[in-house]
Formats: sequence, C-alpha cells, structure tokens
Amino acid sequence: MYVDRGRELSIIFFLVLLGVVLAVFAPGFYNPKNASDILVNISYITIAAIGMTAVIITAQIDISVGAILAACSTVAGLSAKAGVPIPLVFLYSIGTGAAIGLINGLLVAYARIPSIIVTLGTLTVIRGVIILLTGGTWIYDLPANFRAVGTGNTLGLPNPVWLMLATLLAGAFVFSHTRWGRSLYAVGSNPAAARLAGINVERTYVSVFVLVGALVGLATMAFATRFTTVQSNTGQGFEFLVITAVVVGGTNIFGGSGTAFGSFLGALLVGVTGTALTFLHASAYWEQALQGLFILLAVALDAARRRGALDFGWATRLFRRAA
Amino acid sequence: MSAKPTKPGFNVPWSEVVLVTGLIIAVLYMNSLSPAFLSPSNFFQITRISAEIGLIALGMTLVIITGGIDLSVGSILGLSGIVMGFLYTAGLNIWLAALIGVAAGALCGLINGQLITRAGIPPLIVTLATLAIFRGLALGISQARSFGNYPKEFLALGAGYAGPIPTQLIVFVVLVIAVGLILAQSTLGRFIYAIGNNATAARFSGVPVNRVLVLVYTLSGALAGLAGVIFTARVSSARSDAGMGNELDAITAVVLGGASIAGGSGSIVGTLLGLLLVGVVRNGLTLAFIPAEQQAIIIGLILLVAVLLNQVIRLRTGRG
Amino acid sequence: MKRVFVLLSVLALAVATVFALAQSGKKITVVMIPKLVGIDYFNATQKGAEEAAKELGNVTLRYVGPTEASAAKQIELIENAIQAKVDVISVAANDPKALAPALQKARDAGIKVVTWDADADSRDVFTNQATFTGIGEALIDSMVDQIGKDGPAAIITSDLTAPNQNSWIAAMKDKIAKAYPNFKIVDTKAPGEDQQKAFQAAQDLMKAYPDLKGIFALSSVAFPGAADAVKQAGKSGKVAVVGLSTPKQMAPFVKDGTVRDVVLWNPIDLGYLSIYAARAAVDGTLKEGAKIKAGRLGEYTVTKDKLSLQILLGKPFIFNKSNIDNFNF
Repeated sequence: MYVDRGRELSIIFFLVLLGVVLAVFAPGFYNPKNASDILVNISYITIAAIGMTAVIITAQIDISVGAILAACSTVAGLSAKAGVPIPLVFLYSIGTGAAIGLINGLLVAYARIPSIIVTLGTLTVIRGVIILLTGGTWIYDLPANFRAVGTGNTLGLPNPVWLMLATLLAGAFVFSHTRWGRSLYAVGSNPAAARLAGINVERTYVSVFVLVGALVGLATMAFATRFTTVQSNTGQGFEFLVITAVVVGGTNIFGGSGTAFGSFLGALLVGVTGTALTFLHASAYWEQALQGLFILLAVALDAARRRGALDFGWATRLFRRAA
Repeated sequence: MSAKPTKPGFNVPWSEVVLVTGLIIAVLYMNSLSPAFLSPSNFFQITRISAEIGLIALGMTLVIITGGIDLSVGSILGLSGIVMGFLYTAGLNIWLAALIGVAAGALCGLINGQLITRAGIPPLIVTLATLAIFRGLALGISQARSFGNYPKEFLALGAGYAGPIPTQLIVFVVLVIAVGLILAQSTLGRFIYAIGNNATAARFSGVPVNRVLVLVYTLSGALAGLAGVIFTARVSSARSDAGMGNELDAITAVVLGGASIAGGSGSIVGTLLGLLLVGVVRNGLTLAFIPAEQQAIIIGLILLVAVLLNQVIRLRTGRG
Repeated sequence: MKRVFVLLSVLALAVATVFALAQSGKKITVVMIPKLVGIDYFNATQKGAEEAAKELGNVTLRYVGPTEASAAKQIELIENAIQAKVDVISVAANDPKALAPALQKARDAGIKVVTWDADADSRDVFTNQATFTGIGEALIDSMVDQIGKDGPAAIITSDLTAPNQNSWIAAMKDKIAKAYPNFKIVDTKAPGEDQQKAFQAAQDLMKAYPDLKGIFALSSVAFPGAADAVKQAGKSGKVAVVGLSTPKQMAPFVKDGTVRDVVLWNPIDLGYLSIYAARAAVDGTLKEGAKIKAGRLGEYTVTKDKLSLQILLGKPFIFNKSNIDNFNF
C-alpha cells in the first residue's frame, strides 16, 4: 500500500496561500463562527467523499450519489414525519443508500458493466422513480427532533461536524488498518494480482458501492436535517462536488491510492472557495470560473510537485517525524 | 489492429446487431403509441434535435476510444455560442464571429489536451475542472445576458431546410463521413485505437501519443464549438447555460453504440445507432405525452440493458 | 323593412352563435409545459390547470416538463407537440428568445400559443401573474418599511440567467433610483434552485457584510434557505428577509418573526386561468377589450401589449401573519 502524503501537503500549501490572501484582503474571514459554518457546510460532502474514496481506490466511480442523496432525503423526511424514532430514521436512510449501492455494486461486479455506465443509468432511473413516487411534491413541517439532528450542538460542536469527524476517523482507521481496507488498494492497483493473493475481487467491488451508498445515507442525516423542506429534486450536482473533493484530495482516479484525510482536505477546499470569494467581494458572474480555476490550480500544483518542479521533501520529512 | 469484436463470417459487430434490433422494436412500439410518429417530417424532426448532441458524440467517440473522457463539452458548447454572440453584437461579421466561435471551442479542447498530456493530469479530472471554468467564462463574458438578433441567412444554419432536409443534418452527415473515414481508414485512426488498447505499447511502437491525444481533444472541442454555433442558430439566441448536461447525453449515445469506456473499441456507426435509438425513444415517448421523469427511467433502463446484453454476448463469444 | 333587418341580424347572430358553440364545444388538447417538474410551485400550477380542464370538460390537458429548467428541453417538447398536432401549447418559458422560433413555428402550423409565468417573444396571449413593476415595487416597499431608506441589502436570485428574476431586479433598481436613491445593494448571489447553496449564500453574505440589514430572496427555494440562515445565525429581527415563495414553505418563518412579508400570487389560480385563456384562444373569443369568463375566478379583461394580448391575474399578493395559514400550497 502506497500512501501519497505529498498530495495532502500540496492542498495544505494551497489552502495556506488562500488563507494568506484572505488574511490580507478580508480579515473578517477569520472568526470562530465562520469556521464552524464552513465545517457544517462541508460535513455532508466529506461523509459521502469518504465512501467515494473507497470506490475510487478500487478504480471504480459512482456518479449516482446525488440521486442517492435525493432518495435518502425523501425516505428520511417521510419517515421522520410519520413519527418514526430518530435512530430508526438513521437506519432507514442508511439502508436506502446501501440498497441502491448494492444494485450498483452487483451490476459492476457480476454483470461487468463499467461503473461510470452503471451509475449513469441508475442516476437517471432513481431521479425518475423519486418524482414518479412522490409526484414531485416536497416535504414540509419536518418534526423538531429530526431538525435537531442537523441544527443542534453536542459538547459545543454542531452535530453534523460530529458525524463528519466520526466518519473521518473510522474511514482513516479502516482504510489503513484492516484487511478489508488494505484489500481495496490491492484490487485498485492490480485486480488480477489481488485475485491471485486470495482476495475476492467481485465482493470487494460490491462492498465499496454498498459503503458509498450507506455513507450517502448517513450524509443525508447531516444534510436534509438542516433545512425546513426536503426537495424531491435535491442533490443536483452533488456527484461533482464529491468526486472533486476526492480527486483533489489525492486519490488516484486510476485506483490504488488515496486517503480519507486527503478527501476531507479536498472537501475543505471545495467548501472554502465559495465562502472565500464572497469575502473577497468577487463578482457573482465570475465566481464559477474562479472556483473551477482554484480546483485546477490545486491539481496542477500537485502535478508539478510529482514532476519534481516543486519540492516538498522538507515538509514530507517533517510530516513523517510528526506521525 | 481491428478493435471491434466481430462474429466470424460477418463483419458486423454484435453490439450493432443488438442496437438495430432494439431500434426496430422501438420504432414499431412508438408507432403503436402515436400516429404522428412514422412520418418523414417527424424523422427529420428527430435528426434536427439530435444533430448537436450528435456532433458532440462524434468527438466523444474518438476521446473514449483513446481511453479518455471529455466532461467539458457541454460547457464548451455554451462558451462558443457566447463568444460568437458577443463578437457579433460587438459588430463583427456574423460568419467570422461563427468561425471564431468554433475556433474558441477548438482552443478549449487544445487546453484540455495540453493539461492532460503535459501536466499529466487524468482526463476525467482535467475536464471536470474545465467544465466549471468554461461554463464560468461563458457566464462572466456574457454577464448572464443573452445575445440575439442574428441575420436570417445565419439562422438558416439551425432552422433552415434544403427541401425537406434540415440544414444541420447536412452538416452533420458531412462530418460523420469525415470523422468516420479518419477513424476507419487513416493512420490517425489506427493510432487512436492503438492508444486506447495500450498507450505504453503504442508509444514504444512509435505512435506520437501526446500529439494524437492533443489532436483528439482539440477536435472534440471544435465539434462542440460547432454544435454551439448551430444551437445558437436553431434557437436564435446565445445563452451561457446552453448545452448543460449534454456531455452525459453524448456519453450515453457513445456507450450505447458499443464503445468500451476503458478505451480501444468503438465506432462511428455504433455511435450513430446509439444516437438514433435515444432520439427515437425520446421523440416517440414525447409524442405519446409520457412525462419526462418516466422517459428518464426508460432511457436509463435501455442503457443498462443494452450494455448488459453486449457484455453477455462478449463473454459468450469470447468463450466460444 | 326594419323588421326584416332585425330578423336577418338575429338569424346571423344565431348562426354565428351556433358556429361559435360548435367551435367551443370541440374537444381540444392542451400541452402545458412548466419550466421544470419536481418543484412545488409548478405542482401547484398543475393542480389549478387540472381543475380548470375538468370543469370545462372539453379540454384534454397534457402537463409535461423537463426535469431541469432547460430551454433546449422545452424546445424539444414544443417541436414534438407540433408533430403531434395539438391545439394549444401553453408554456412557462425558460428563455423568451430561445423559445420564440419554435413557438412561431407552432403558430404557423395553426396551433395557439399561450405563455404563463414567464413570457416568450412569440405567443397569442400571455397569462401574466403580476407585472414585474408590481412585484419589484412591492419587494422594495416592504424592505424599506422594515429597515429604512438606506439599506444596505443584498440579493439572492436563482440563476443569473433567469429572465423573471432579472426583470424583477431591474424593476427593483428602477424603484430604488426613483424613490430611495441612498438605498445600497451591496452584492448579488446566484445559488440556482438549490436550498443548500442558497442557505450558504445567505450565511456568507451576513458574515462578509457585517452591517447588512436586509436580504432579498427571489426564488421559491432561495427564500426559505435565506430565512433559515438568518434564523440559525440568531439574526431574526436584525436582518430582514423579503422575497417570493409559497406560503406553506414560509409559514414557519412568518410565525416566528424572521419574515414579515411574503410576496407572491396564487400559482393554483395562475394554472387555472391559463387553461381558460387556452380555451378562449381556440374559441376565438380573445380580442383586445374582450371579457373572458374564468370559472370561479370571475371575469378578466383582455388587454393589448407590445407583442399581442395579455391577461393579468392581478396584483401581487402579500402573505403575512394574519393570512398565511389560509393557503394550502
């Protein structure tokens, strides 16, 4: 297993650069409230991104996560409104995501259809089915205990941030310290060799899709609970945010490498740019172009580092010593 | 070098047999749904609406055969339209403006290609980022205004007919033949398949891999740019959000056409059949007033079933 | 002689009436295309349209729309509706210019075109929910009444290209220039139709502009998102939020005092009226100055505008604490 800490350093370097610019031009950016808001806003992205990290480590991809988010939000909203106790709402939401993930996984692993095609197909089907079943109506008057999950605090930290931290720690541990976690890297770098080493490759594929589905179900509880309404068409473009967070965070799109912490940094970058641009009073008309440029710069910076144009050797050594 | 899986004795790939069968079933079924379906005017209607996605799908076919992907084409379509509209509104001759619009598309593709080959960033990531950047540029340049008031002779490009045949169909057919010939007959075509099968091996056997890749992405950008110009002529105004989501429609057509997303296989005929199948199904269901969300379900299922069938056949023939 | 003339005119009138009745009795198919399906506002217009079609009895309603607010997808639906030879195409346009060629083609083929909610550059009649000026002024007046003549306020719109929102913003700026020249608009954000992004935009605005006193939220999604952000930041009563949305979504915020006024029209009535307008367009009773009957809504006068004819649903409606519970959409 090879973990590329250099990519994480590249993003940290980039975030520090952005931080300096903000400190000079918009010192108001630095206040505890803003930090907490940003963490809450990226929590649902990070939770899903950790699942996506597992998928991409095995050299697969899932572009149906936005549709899954909509499906889980609908299930969670309807069941909470029907008076289902909150722990069960968690279970229903995660179960819905896992069930859809299972379908994706089976199609990828046993029907051998490339994952981008499978999830392109299921993405359109899921969105259609949601509108068909709900008639496109939104869910209002969500019960207070449901909303408390997303808007409440525990021990001074917002609940969505707790969910994110728990997922992040669990992900970091599972990816690097369990048999299953290590098998992901093996399958991603060379499926044939992994098979020879006794890993059930098909089952590994199924498991990562179930995982990302389940984590989108969990992300739903840090997302749908924060608003007064559940929209039937929610989560448009969520897949782009999540995949961007993961690949910016250093996970190799061709499989075999990636970390949970890197994906968190990627989500942080994705989440910070929008807020930063508001503080820098950037024109709304150019905001999208600038955001795309930020992402490209972060990735290009890392590409330059890998080619030896930038040397983070000192920082890597520092990082190793600390770790 | 033939990368298409073929049945011995015939030179028709299985995936295309599956598609043609599917197409015939779809036509028969749609005809029973709506009496308006089987008419020449409706057929030309389908091709008129499919032409822009078709142009994008041509470029996407080449990109996917090399083992890459281009998610930025929908944004390039929007940006090219805006560049053209902006220049025309600023007083430039309409045809010159249109030409620069297409060139802007090619430039976008060139940037994608350079980032992929020089910086060594994977195509999915490069085009994911440029998808946002190109769309953002279109929004920024236009300041969210739309550009209209084009001369009649330009609008004919998107709304005119030669007899019963829509103008853009003629443009499309010419490009289908050109790209089809390049892919099937030229050295460049063989290089494209070779890169998709094994880029490292191709490099060692003397294929100028980087130059070919840059060319393919530039071509994909130029075709998306042309689609942007035609779209603008069809709807008579250029808007920054034109072409949103078109990349997924184009990928659907290419993959339905039997191209492997892993690279190395695919054909223009297949892509055409894929386009036609989606076009026929969408048109037929709309004529029968089936709501969009149900259409989405049906098209999603068709995609999955078609790819599944191909996969089954590929495994069977592979074993036999 | 006189009697013959009277007799003849009565006869002519009777023939005309029979002819008109024959026409108006004809069963027609109306294709109604919202900006997109899957959002509550357009579910409400669908409800009204279905109610009117059922009442009339001779209208077959086909309510079909794209799953995202795309002009290209609407054009495809229009072109296909022409092929299907329907009687009326009724559309809430995602782009006034882009839809015009397709709609013109429909009219050339003898199909009547009704626009509603958002107008297009080619149509037979526009069922207008409320004038842009009316909405723009109502928004500014409510805001000034709550935070004073100087602002400062920010705008959260839908997409930057959304035509209705842009016209409202233009009307708001006109009103500011005329009546409150010192009123400052500090920023405009365009989160699209996405509640998470609208919520975050409002959060960011309040932090980046600490002296911000008001937020205009111009879409049915942006308004609850912005109100929620203000409430969660503990700034209810300190930052006023004014905008357009449906009463059911806004009721909690109106009741807890975060929002005082919600500006809108009744979307059910808008869908209802546009079906009566479609019927009248086929029956040939739409003329400048004519009065058309629209079931439970009563009579409307048809007026002439720059393009063709227009029917105005009414003045924008203001929902507040006193009445918001009476509306179920």
